Amino acid sequence: MTFPYKGYAGHYLEVDLTKGVVQKKEMEKEWARLYLGGSGVSSKILWERTTAETDPLSPDNVVVVGTGPLTGAMFSPSGRMMFAARGPLTGVWAESHVGGFMGPEIKYAGFDFVIMSGRSKKPVYLFLRDGKAELLDASHLWGQETDTTTKMIREDHKDPSIETAVIGPAGENQVLYSGIIVDFYRAAGRAGLGAVLGSKNMKGIAASGSLGLEAYDMEKYLEANAQEMEKLKDPLWKDSLASLRKYGTTDLVAIINEIGRLPTKNHWTGFYEDADDIGPEIIAEKYRIAQEACHGCAVGCKYIIRVKGGNYPTEPIGGPEYETLMAFGSNCMNNDIESIFHMGKRCDLLGLDTISCGKTISFAMELYEKGIWTKEDTDGLDLTWGNVEAQVELVEKIAKREGVGKILSNGVRKAAEQIGGDAWKYAIHVKGLEASGQDPRAHQSIGLTYATNVRGADHLRSISCIEELGYPKIAGDRFSPEKADAILEIMSPKHKGEVVWDMEDLYALVDSAVICKYATMWPPVFYYDTFVNVIPALTGMEEWGNPKYVRLAGQRISHLRRAFNHRLGVTRKDENLPPRLLSEPMPTGPSKGGLPDLDEMLDEYYEFRGCDRDTGYPKEAKLKELQLDFVVDELKPKGLTR
Amino acid sequence: MKEILTIDLELCTGCRNCELACSVAHTQSFNPKRSRIQILKDEVRNLIVPMVCLQCEKPLCQEACPNGAIVENEHGILFVKEEICIGCMNCVTACIYGGIAIDPQNKKAVKCDLCNGDPACVKACDYGAISVASIKPEGLHQRRKAVSPAFQTLGIQIEEGQE
Repeated sequence: MTFPYKGYAGHYLEVDLTKGVVQKKEMEKEWARLYLGGSGVSSKILWERTTAETDPLSPDNVVVVGTGPLTGAMFSPSGRMMFAARGPLTGVWAESHVGGFMGPEIKYAGFDFVIMSGRSKKPVYLFLRDGKAELLDASHLWGQETDTTTKMIREDHKDPSIETAVIGPAGENQVLYSGIIVDFYRAAGRAGLGAVLGSKNMKGIAASGSLGLEAYDMEKYLEANAQEMEKLKDPLWKDSLASLRKYGTTDLVAIINEIGRLPTKNHWTGFYEDADDIGPEIIAEKYRIAQEACHGCAVGCKYIIRVKGGNYPTEPIGGPEYETLMAFGSNCMNNDIESIFHMGKRCDLLGLDTISCGKTISFAMELYEKGIWTKEDTDGLDLTWGNVEAQVELVEKIAKREGVGKILSNGVRKAAEQIGGDAWKYAIHVKGLEASGQDPRAHQSIGLTYATNVRGADHLRSISCIEELGYPKIAGDRFSPEKADAILEIMSPKHKGEVVWDMEDLYALVDSAVICKYATMWPPVFYYDTFVNVIPALTGMEEWGNPKYVRLAGQRISHLRRAFNHRLGVTRKDENLPPRLLSEPMPTGPSKGGLPDLDEMLDEYYEFRGCDRDTGYPKEAKLKELQLDFVVDELKPKGLTR
Repeated sequence: MKEILTIDLELCTGCRNCELACSVAHTQSFNPKRSRIQILKDEVRNLIVPMVCLQCEKPLCQEACPNGAIVENEHGILFVKEEICIGCMNCVTACIYGGIAIDPQNKKAVKCDLCNGDPACVKACDYGAISVASIKPEGLHQRRKAVSPAFQTLGIQIEEGQE
């Protein structure tokens, strides 16, 4: 039977890198119906094709390159795509999303998913054009930085419209937090998926397509789309959108420092005195030269900078996001904005995750401060807080796995294990993933988000901005007016289990559609009803017009990803926080004294999630309700259900 | 009165929503490569060059068409009659502005027809970068001024000339 749904390209690719064989297959109807696309479909594929024994950097690991029905279908903001595999940094579920123009191009070239397995004998890249796919020699690209790689691929095919997703030298060297770079300066940075491609001798994917996508009911879809855009244009969100357009995410440096949640000095505190030096105003006034947007996006948060003169001049490049400013800036006590631009740029060219890279450097700086490391351990580098030259040098060493960079390229958890002693105290991570730019001592619910996020300490699977930025109407509408006050209290753990559970399922759909967190997370405009509104008209999947079905689909995806981790040994004890964020009261700033009540929130979260409180394992009845019987079949005999 | 499109590069973010809207209006599909407006990008130089028919007074494309496929519609705007076009690409070669192209699917020439006076791209641009102007000197001046950032990036000097 032919794949019946519109909005999708309708085909996926099986790429066996060991044999060098590419097979084109028709999309599976059940993938779309039950898991929508992106993260959801990836969880189904990885559940089936990996086991508890799959070594992340071996040929056995499988990388899924995914798009969703909304990718490239003129829903703002829908220029997105994702990658997933068993992660080399964490050993658990790893997924990373990215904007730009590559996701739509893969679909216009005729494919919704690419599933890669095995290991190529020589470097290759996958080229997609109008329903055809081939593995091409990448010997000349191996060792090249990401911008040169893209320019060379375009030159090879004499086609400047080709979009790419490629790894840099860091991915080739299997740095455990290397990422995949799209369109020069957009990154699927987190969780080390670049290293998985590197281990497969896979330089990346290039695509150019003119096949286009259809809608099931174009008129109805455009109407639904317009309704959603109207929501975005509500005066309620005027300030948020104006800020995103003027500053991009850099505005968060100022906003978040004000609430005392800006990670500073390796997460020691949440307030950085010199935040203005690395904040939105100086960037907008002195360096910003243009606004940019991903494919078909009305938010337009990306921006371009140029630096003339100084130690780190640069031609136009994509400006750093909030997370990069935090990781290389406040968290390393570095207020030299031009050096942060430089390190952000180097990470894009080398193919490194700026968050994990910056956080690993701040970890090294703290070891140096505490005397656990001396110059003998650091190749003679003086790792005093704020030493810009040393920081810049470390980025290069990490990408090359050279000298001290070798141990740091393994991320803070493994580095701390190798160093021993008290080093673990300064490794700020969950499940091995370096924490992103939040702090549960100033924002209770982010503690629960970090703890339960399937890929580790990161905000993007379930952060709630409702209390962070203060949206009383949303709190009342989504939960109940009675609960709104407690929800809006940023340091109250009350109802936060419910809020994070609700967000996690919402983002599971966002990550499967695949759309952006801007307009879903901040400002919190699109909600479950958005999918009810647009998915049936676009795809023809009528069941997606039922709000209950859509909710259950979100839960199904969340549970399957959790089950993937349970199979690998994750239990409640791993859904925890690093000691510093759990039990060292915030020492300075507006949130001084703050600590998260993780256990209370976790109990409530498990209750809503349908999991056992003691272990975090899923309840059998819940899995069956979600049509995840195949999960029960595998987990139950191992005692991993309740 | 004939009209033209002006595209303000200071406002354009290169998001390509205009291409999507154009492809929906003309092909009922999401397919930027079939759009009548094309946004060319050079990320390395931060250069965005929108390409769309300039609605010339003396249209080279029309002159070059061996089959008479490029004709005026009821609004006085040139469009390509698909059933007459033989896809010979003479018009593409003749247009020095890159304002007419071959549709990758049906291999016929396509150019902007201003959507009967209500262009889909204008409505789809969330940044207000595309607008409709008259073909009078003010409109022509507005169009040229709107693309001057690209000239600056390329280091091309523009002299105030006749319009």
